[in-house]
Amino acid sequence: MQNKLLFHQSSVSLEIIGLPDYSNNENKDQISIISQWKLTIIDKPLIEGKIEHLGPIMDAFYIYSNLLIKNEIPIYQSKLIDIKADNLHIHNIVLKSSKPNVKPLILKIGNSLLSDTINCFDQLNESPNIRIKKTGLSNNISKKVKYGLKNKIKSFNFIMPLLIAICSLILCSSTLIYLYNPIEDKENNELINPK
Amino acid sequence: MPNKVTIWKLRNNNPLRKSYVNNNINPVEFDALIQITVEMSRYLYPYIREILQSKEDHEKNSDIWNNFNKRFIELTKERYNTDRMRVKKLLNQTESDETIIKLLITLSLCISNQGYQKLKNFLSDL
Repeated sequence: MQNKLLFHQSSVSLEIIGLPDYSNNENKDQISIISQWKLTIIDKPLIEGKIEHLGPIMDAFYIYSNLLIKNEIPIYQSKLIDIKADNLHIHNIVLKSSKPNVKPLILKIGNSLLSDTINCFDQLNESPNIRIKKTGLSNNISKKVKYGLKNKIKSFNFIMPLLIAICSLILCSSTLIYLYNPIEDKENNELINPK
Repeated sequence: MPNKVTIWKLRNNNPLRKSYVNNNINPVEFDALIQITVEMSRYLYPYIREILQSKEDHEKNSDIWNNFNKRFIELTKERYNTDRMRVKKLLNQTESDETIIKLLITLSLCISNQGYQKLKNFLSDL
């Protein structure tokens, strides 16, 4: 008996069918071995495929949406799927079949359906009941953030030795202050210069 | 955020506003503002979606988009410094449409549990 999980967002639903990995002592409700998935968009043909197609399709949607938001030319092309913008509101999706002599499926979706689809993929990524290989594209760290982090680490490495040096200097000085007795020093000075 | 007044004060850090005050937002306040935006967009997702859909089917259902756009321009004129070039661009019909749509798409993509990190990444790429 296979498990079925459904992720729903407004006009889009994503169905995942598969089995738990019993060799890994997984719960019976878990899905680790995905046998089939179905993406249903209202008023559009059903999209379905094998597990090896799901990852690239999800990545395509994530990359395309990132390009769309970042004011770059929103075009994504791969062996399996092409997405490009017809205009600001309509996105043209071409799904190419891996089987020979099968015509590609062409879909035109608006911004609302695009966000519904990506939200369904987000739900799948965040679901504790499904284990899929995560590419990290859903929540990728941007170049600027990475650059910022690297810079922070560099400056941290530069500043830390200086800070440690200053701290150790203060520590040594404060110890010497305790050892130093000004009255005794005054007496010594008087002995050297007896006026 | 201890109260609504703090949020109201933080809004004034926006240089496009008429009541702009440069107080320098600290990282904790910046994170809190992102968190509030994500929660709001999660709550308002059905409305955001309706507005986007209304623009797509403009011939059939243009009322929602027109009302939203009208209110957006009213608020921009009322609260933003209209002498600034950026604000002038926002008030320009053709340019503002694109900006509004991209803002709405950005908000609609940040409603998941990871939405906070997503929005932070989008903002850092601006």
